[in-house]
Order: sequence, then C-alpha cells, then structure tokens
Amino acid sequence: MAKLLMDQLTKTYDNKVTAVENFNLTVEDEEFIVFVGPSGCGKSTTLRMIAGLEDISAGTFSIDGKRMNDVEPKDRDIAMVFQNYALYPHMTVYENMAFSLKLKKMPKEEIKERVRNAAEILGLMEYLNRKPKALSGGQRQRVALGRAIVRDAKLFLMDEPLSNLDSKLRVQMRTEISKLHQRLKTTTIYVTHDQTEAMTMATRIVIMKDGVIQQVGTPKEVYDQPDNIFVAGFIGSPAMNFFKGRIEGDSFVMGQTKLLIPKSAMPEGRDGQEIVIGLRPEHITHKPHAQVDVLEVDLDVVELMGSEYMVYSKIEGHSFVGRVDANFELAAGTVFPMLFEMDKARFFDPETEVRIK
Amino acid sequence: MRKKKNWKLEILGILLGILWLLPFYLMFVNSFKTKKEIFTDVTSPPELWSFDNYITAFEELDFMQTLFNSLLITVSSVLLIIISSAMAAYALSRAKSRISTILFFTFVAAMLIPFQSVMIPLVTVFGQFEMLNRGGLIFMYIGFGASLSIFLYHGALNNIPRSLDEAARIDGANRWQVFWHIIFPMLKPITVTVAILNIIWIWNDFLLPSLVINQTGSETIPLKMFFFFGEYTKQWHLALAGLTLAIVPVIIFYFFAQRAIIKGVSDGAVK
Repeated sequence: MAKLLMDQLTKTYDNKVTAVENFNLTVEDEEFIVFVGPSGCGKSTTLRMIAGLEDISAGTFSIDGKRMNDVEPKDRDIAMVFQNYALYPHMTVYENMAFSLKLKKMPKEEIKERVRNAAEILGLMEYLNRKPKALSGGQRQRVALGRAIVRDAKLFLMDEPLSNLDSKLRVQMRTEISKLHQRLKTTTIYVTHDQTEAMTMATRIVIMKDGVIQQVGTPKEVYDQPDNIFVAGFIGSPAMNFFKGRIEGDSFVMGQTKLLIPKSAMPEGRDGQEIVIGLRPEHITHKPHAQVDVLEVDLDVVELMGSEYMVYSKIEGHSFVGRVDANFELAAGTVFPMLFEMDKARFFDPETEVRIK
Repeated sequence: MRKKKNWKLEILGILLGILWLLPFYLMFVNSFKTKKEIFTDVTSPPELWSFDNYITAFEELDFMQTLFNSLLITVSSVLLIIISSAMAAYALSRAKSRISTILFFTFVAAMLIPFQSVMIPLVTVFGQFEMLNRGGLIFMYIGFGASLSIFLYHGALNNIPRSLDEAARIDGANRWQVFWHIIFPMLKPITVTVAILNIIWIWNDFLLPSLVINQTGSETIPLKMFFFFGEYTKQWHLALAGLTLAIVPVIIFYFFAQRAIIKGVSDGAVK
C-alpha cells in the first residue's frame, strides 16, 4: 500500500528529445490510476521512470515520502506486468511465479503457499507445471499477473498488459483486473492507449499528449468536463463532434446554420467571437416533439448497433456522428431531423483549444 | 517415381557414409597389424588381432598423463571461453553505446586475423611472462576462442527481449542474478554450439601447443602423437594405435553428450 508523489518529473534523452515534461501527480493509497494517450505521448516512459527502468532526468519521485530517484528497481518494492508478458521461457509457471520469492530467500513452504494462493485466484492451478510456451495468450497474461500478485508489492505497474489479446479476451481480462484490484486494493498504475480500458478501470485517468499531462480526473470528470479539445476528442467512442463557428447574440452560427444556445449554457463575454463547440454523439439525436435546434440533415451512413443507430452526416462541411434509438427504420440517403442538444455543448477557444467554462 | 528417387538417394547416402567411415576403418584395422603387414596389405583385416601395438603406444605416449593434459586444457579453456564470452556478449548487447559497438566490431575483426601472423610475437610476449606452459596455453585459447563465441552469443542475445531483463530486475534480481538465472539458461542452444566448435579445434590443435609447451609431461595428445613420426622412421602401426586411443575419449564424450547436443540444436531451431 503506497502513496506516490511525482513532482515535476522530466525525462530528456541524450539526443535532447524530451519524452516527459513537468509531470506532477499525487497518487493516493489504493487508487487505480490509468495513464492514457496516443503512442509516443510519454506514458510508458513515465511508468518506466516509476519502475526505475529509466533514469529520471529532473524532478522527484517518492513512495510514502521516501525519495526513489536513485533507488534500484529491485529495492522499490514494486511489481510490473509487461506488454509482452516477459515470462521466463525456461521456467515453469510455478517457477516463474516463485522466482522473486526465491531471490528473497523466503522459506520453501511459504513460497508454495503464496504461489498456490495466486494460482487459485487466477485459475492457474492445473498449469503450474507447464512452460509458458504451452499456454495460450490469456493464460500467459494470468501468469504475468500472478508473478506480480505473489510479491505482495506496494505498487503494481502495468504497461499495456492487454494489447496482445484478442478483443473478447481483452474485455474479460479487463474485468478480472478490476476485480483483482478490488480484492487486493494495491495501488496500481496502468498504461494504455485504449480509452475504453481507461474509462472502465480507472479511479482516476491521466491523459497525456507529447509528454505533457492534459488532464487528471475521474472517468466521469474527463468525460463530462474535458479541459481541452484533445481530451474531449480522445475520451469517448465514437469521439466528440466539433463545430467551428461564431457566437452571435444568443446563437451559435456557422455558415447558414444557426443553433440557439440556452442562457444557462452560454459562455460569458464571447459575443461576436470565433468559437469551437463540442457535442457528444449522444447529444445529437432525434426526439419526436423537439422544436428548437432541430436540423434537417442528409444521412450519409447509418449503422445499426442493435438498440441504436449511429448516423454519420455533415453540416456546413463538418462531419459528425449522432446517436438515434433504433425503434424505427432508418436508411442512408434520407433526410432526417436531428436535435442538437445545445445545453450539453462544450465550448472551446479556437486558438488555445482550452475549454471555456 | 517418388520411390525411385528415394532409392537413388539411399545409395548416395550409403556411398557417402562408406567414404566417410573408410579412414576410420583403415585406422582401426591397421592399428592391430605389424609395421610390415601394413606395408604389404593396407585394406584387409589383420591376420592376428594383437594388442601389442596398443600396449606399446600406451606406454610410449604416457597415455594417462597425456590424456589428462588434453582434458585439462580443453575443458578449462572451453569452460572459461563459455563463461567469459557469454558475459562479455551480454554486456555488449545490453549497453548500447559507441564504445560497445567499437568493442564488438574489434572482436569480430579479430576473427579475420590469421593465427600464423600473430604466433611468433605471441610466443615471445608470453615467454617474457614465463607463461609458456599449460596455464598460458589455456589463456591463449580463451583469447583465440572468444571472438567467434562472442559473435555467436551476441546474435542470440539480441533476440532475447530486454523486457525479460527488466522483469527480473523488478522481481528483485541484481545484474549478476539476472544473467545467471534468466539469460544464461536461455542461451543453452548457443552454449552447446560454442562448446562443440571450441572442443573440436582445441582438442585437435597441434601448432599452438607445439610452440607453447616444451616440458615433458605437459604435452597434449596431438603433440605426443608426433613422437611416432621421426625424421627417418614413421612408426605407422604405433601411431594408428595411438590415434585410435585418442579418439576414444571423443566418442565417449559424444555418446554421453549427444542427447544434450541434439536437444540444444533443435531447441535453437524451434522457437
């Protein structure tokens, strides 16, 4: 159980490339933190600095108030799960899990008990004598988790642990990892590029881009109150729709189209200025009796997802996705009234891309 | 059609096998003949299977001492080559700096230098340090064996993902433990290859021991064998008996190691 502090963590490589810049974060005990961002955003580098596999160029990293910058990985009391599992191929599943305990010179009986416990939790009992070669991808992933669990470490680090699995197994392992965290309550930092994993597993999400934190918050916060266009576009699937236009009086105007903004949602002091609005697909929908902010749009593509349609269309040159309940027939190529729920719109400055609150 | 092709291949295989085994046959049958018999009829079996040649050769070669010398030199050299080359290659493959690249290419380049071009200065220098003995010879073999071994190990190590090193370090291992518990066991197929290649040339080497070893009692088998080939007389009957004795340890080694060798080679092939 651990409380982490990252204070102005920076990683600069020899060739003067900065991978991570001024990374500030406090992680409370028992939290499940997810670092998410596109590839090359510095999330894995940050994780590796926490693990001690990468030197920290500047800033401090501490666990429970103890400075860790120059502590060897083996002395940090952390466990890590790697993307390619990193199982020792010449050892059996049992030996893989027991390796760290053997190094600690733990008595044989205790090692046996710990490995058996972990194997039971993960459903690996029948595979203990197999080599990793003879296991499926999901089972290897479990062994990698098992190797972390037996350690009873202060901190779990996971570097894209599910990205080598097929989609069905990924969903299954996702819930298993969440369950595991609820059971063990070990502070966890999890790196992924998949925003769905971030949303479903995290207690707090850290969204990164180009080595810089964009926003830190609970899944709900980053979804509902994104700090900038990047976060708004990255979190949520399908992504948020953006429209560029201008505020005129009580309306948002783009080209010939005018959308009325309710007073409560209107950003202050922006009359006559350029602005970007963001609307989530679920806020561009169809309501039978709606009067205001309803636009007739040509449906380019209609995808039936079962209980709802995803409709793809365009207004004033801006492509967008909307969501409509599937309780009637809808076909591409037709004209259809769509409601733009402007009270749910988020407003962004077109220059700085920061959200206007 | 297919059967016919196999049949031809089989004949070819048998012929090649005979060609390959013929020298061994000649060595074996002639080692039981007298010198005169050898010169009258080389190919036929001896009239009388006599072990006299073996007894004489065994004594003249001081076989137990000579065998011990050969074993001592080969086993120590190969063990030290394996240990030092594997560790050196590990360091060179994991530390990616300009110095490690230069060092690696120096080792590779050393493979191209013909032994004859360095042997005189080498012996001179070793002579000054009073190392013209079995210990010095082992030391030289490490130097000559290292470059190819490092090259082989380096290639294999580059295929072992670094995340294994990292996982072991996080599991609590120091560099030394990472190498011996995780990396070295994974290099087994290459270790077998390195061992075989080095055993073959060190066991059979004549030139280097002939330059380095000059005390009686320290000679290796190939060196002692030269004893039968005087300037005026060539004692073929004794030499052949001695040679047969000399390959016995190799055959025993292969007999015991063959499962490990075959497994090592096939483990390396199937990933």
